[in-house]
Amino acid sequence: MTIQPTDEDLSTIAEQVWSSYLDPEEVSPLLPFPAPVRTTEVSASVSVTGSWRGHVVLSCSVRAAKSAAGALLGVELEEVTTEDIADALGELANIIGGNVKSLLPEPCALSLPHVLVGRVEKEHWPAVTEICRLDGSWQDEMVQICVLESVEDKDAGEASPS
Amino acid sequence: MKILVADDSRVMRQIVSRTLRQAGFSGYEVVEAADGKEGLDRTIEHKPDLVLSDWNMPEMNGIQFLNGLRNEGINIPFGFVTSESTSEMRKTAEEAGALFLITKPFTADTFREILDPILG
Repeated sequence: MTIQPTDEDLSTIAEQVWSSYLDPEEVSPLLPFPAPVRTTEVSASVSVTGSWRGHVVLSCSVRAAKSAAGALLGVELEEVTTEDIADALGELANIIGGNVKSLLPEPCALSLPHVLVGRVEKEHWPAVTEICRLDGSWQDEMVQICVLESVEDKDAGEASPS
Repeated sequence: MKILVADDSRVMRQIVSRTLRQAGFSGYEVVEAADGKEGLDRTIEHKPDLVLSDWNMPEMNGIQFLNGLRNEGINIPFGFVTSESTSEMRKTAEEAGALFLITKPFTADTFREILDPILG
């Protein structure tokens, strides 16, 4: 049986990220917010290749992304630039992705993060199936973490006789 | 006294620097590098007391950086600060001569516990 990360695993990882970097004083935790999001403003992802293939995607509003960058850099929101947002969200995706990867079968490799700022449709990820998801609310802004497994590669592998 | 911090994320370099201060290592000057190649050049230039490096970086990754240092005959204490920590990576890091592997997210307590014996 293949080991797969679960919703609970994502909650544990997110909790560690929030308590270490985004909410060390424990004043604004990531709260569960069970409403699936179809469109987001900022999307940061890392891809996993190897024994398991797919993506770990962190999505949120621009406001949440700004707050995250401000918290990580220790600066006021007005000082946060688009470059800061891309760097901060990319690093968060990298941390979450690295921790998710530790739950996947070895050997796997993690890509460098890829960040999209602007309206991102959820269908942006073709040929994937959702393995687990965390829908949360942070400072009244939506935050979502998804683990998406590539189905195309797996099917192609199984269908190929050579 | 210097610590070199190599990470392609400026945000993470800042977090590592801040965590070093919180862990009580504020007496060390932090020298930053944005990838392994820059890390190698700056380590040769600055001769830090410790190198803290990310694993996954463009240009030259962390393990190539460490191998590059050892090939130059530079045996400065070296540790990884990375989001990944599989048993395979730990083995590779140890075989290359890394002293430790700290997993992100980390806290000041983790830094103190691991770095105190090295930096005294």
